[in-house]
Amino acid sequence: MTLGESDRAVFAAIADIIVPAWERMPAASAVGVHEDLLDAVLRARPDLGDGVRQAIEHCRDRERSEAVNSLYRENRAAFDAFTLAVTGGYYMADKVRVLLGYPGQESPEYDPYETAQYLTDGILERVTRRGAIYRPTPR
Amino acid sequence: MAAVKAAQTTARRGETVDVLIVGAGPSGSVAAKHLSAAGFSVVTLEQGHWPEANNFPGRKPEFELLTQKQWHPNPNVRDLPRDYPVETSDSDINPLMFAGVGGSTTLYAGHWTPFLPSDFRVRTLDGIADDWPFTYEDLLPHLEEIEHEVGVSGLPGNPAYPPQNAFPTPPLPIGKAGRKAAEGLDKLGWHWWPGTNAIPSIPYNGLNPCVRRGTCMTGCPEGAKSTADITHWPHALKNGARLITGARVREIEVDERGLATGAVYIDENGRERRQNARIVVLCANGIGTPRLLLLSKSSRFPDGLANSSGLVGKRLMMHPFSAVLGVFNDPLDGWQGPFGQLIDSFEFYETDEKRGFMRGAKWGAMPGGGPLGATSFVGSKVFAEGDAKVEDAWGANLHKLVDRRFNHMLIYGIIGEDLPEEANRVVLDSKLTDSDGIPAPKIVYKVSDNSDKMLRFHVARCLEALGASGAIETQVVHQMRDTGWHLLGTCLMGDDPKKSVVDRWGRTHDVPNMYIFDGSAFPTSGGLNPTATIMSVALRQTKHLINERRNAEAA
Repeated sequence: MTLGESDRAVFAAIADIIVPAWERMPAASAVGVHEDLLDAVLRARPDLGDGVRQAIEHCRDRERSEAVNSLYRENRAAFDAFTLAVTGGYYMADKVRVLLGYPGQESPEYDPYETAQYLTDGILERVTRRGAIYRPTPR
Repeated sequence: MAAVKAAQTTARRGETVDVLIVGAGPSGSVAAKHLSAAGFSVVTLEQGHWPEANNFPGRKPEFELLTQKQWHPNPNVRDLPRDYPVETSDSDINPLMFAGVGGSTTLYAGHWTPFLPSDFRVRTLDGIADDWPFTYEDLLPHLEEIEHEVGVSGLPGNPAYPPQNAFPTPPLPIGKAGRKAAEGLDKLGWHWWPGTNAIPSIPYNGLNPCVRRGTCMTGCPEGAKSTADITHWPHALKNGARLITGARVREIEVDERGLATGAVYIDENGRERRQNARIVVLCANGIGTPRLLLLSKSSRFPDGLANSSGLVGKRLMMHPFSAVLGVFNDPLDGWQGPFGQLIDSFEFYETDEKRGFMRGAKWGAMPGGGPLGATSFVGSKVFAEGDAKVEDAWGANLHKLVDRRFNHMLIYGIIGEDLPEEANRVVLDSKLTDSDGIPAPKIVYKVSDNSDKMLRFHVARCLEALGASGAIETQVVHQMRDTGWHLLGTCLMGDDPKKSVVDRWGRTHDVPNMYIFDGSAFPTSGGLNPTATIMSVALRQTKHLINERRNAEAA
């Protein structure tokens, strides 16, 4: 799906209603959800394309709050695709991830042979001491 | 490996093999490995393809977006050519599955929770449902063998289970979220145990060790979640077994004596082919197997193959499921895996009639996931409520929600025992077909009053547990729709041919050279994840077939 500058401008304007600037967090348009991130979202999820296009057309040349609210009421499928494209792109943005403290799906090191805390502080021993809780096979 | 795979996947026209297996999921893979090791010539037909770890989305920044479509466990959502659609308009639960080598374990969370002794004696102990034709103790040696093939990680000594051999790999870390859950259960004096998972913590049988990436349920890009494409097929192929992928079986054929002679299938080029065999083993899951039997009608079997009891497709059990979320002040590293179970609890697993329902449920504590997941809770947008203006429901509200929840959540998943009812069933849909024009299955399924009461009781107890852990906020999703992971019971196992489809060794009563080794044969469902038991039963039945090879009837 090819989006022109005017399409992206509409998307950015209505995206900022969904994700405005708030405390330390930037607005959606400030991290480029209408630019490369939108392209990345639509490459990953081409099924969102129709809904995004419909949302843009619905909101073009309209007051943005009225437009988004009427989109929500009149075309829920397009609204859902649009909001997922906005939030999906937003939480992929490096800046947003840094602010949230989210490194992505990382692979933290661990030692599989390390003695776990639950084995030394008594918390699991209390479970063991209470004894078996299964019902055995009747004989 | 690629060359080996290619060499082993060619159909040979007119060939008759000892055993044809339909389905390369966990049960079919166990059968293929052990039958081929015992010298049987084996061909397995699998409608899907080999999974490619590089295609799994876990390392990609768009991971969370992909989980909601291309890697969704519901085949109707994925809508991929190798999936068959399932008609679900008369079902309270959507069945979940995956077509490919390894089957639905490609997308499972790897919770390794074998059935308990009482699960095999529900009729004797509780006066409902049915006993199995064998006991926990009968199955235990097979379970212990399978655990060493699978590379299970876990800590021995769980008092929810009888004593057994140790697991082959050490337990995975329970993480901050598991610890938080354990602290609450400890305060209440309730059972918990570090999670046992089909995810090794050290290199094992072709598997890499878990790196805690937390993307288990969309395929493990690390090759660290135990799936049969890694743990069983390399052995089976080395033994000479052949695996034909992209092969969608349309019918099991029978001869004039009523013996199965093989299968008709559609290859991925749309050509109809036949695979002849002396013995046929069905391992296509609790929906695919009855679908295939119902498709295989003939003058001799007008109601479908092996269906003289009328039970093929009936007694579908899918485990109604509820989830309870707790939010905590402390950061819990909620994106870190394993996305198997961090800890589990069997505190309320066994029947207590005073609770107002029969049987029980297992809880698994899981981490909360990434930020996009925090904007919703298991599929339901939690901030877009009522008639509020969009900017009030989203906007700052969205930021506050993510700020509060992301990295601060743990989730209890409740798997309650689903009791068998003949009205819950798989039938053939009269209109819907797969991409090869084969009639699709239709599910007729209602959540029972017993299941509803059970889940509500367990939700209340989970809320207590989360409160004891210090949760500052909780949320419940009762009886979720997209949770039909466990497809069981549709080809009942039993000794009476009038009241069951297969005997205690998985052989169909009506067709003496046809077997069912998957979860279809389960008389009851347990209140836990069934893969451990599915694979153990498959091994038990396979070994019996091997041991009785001289007496086995064959086409």
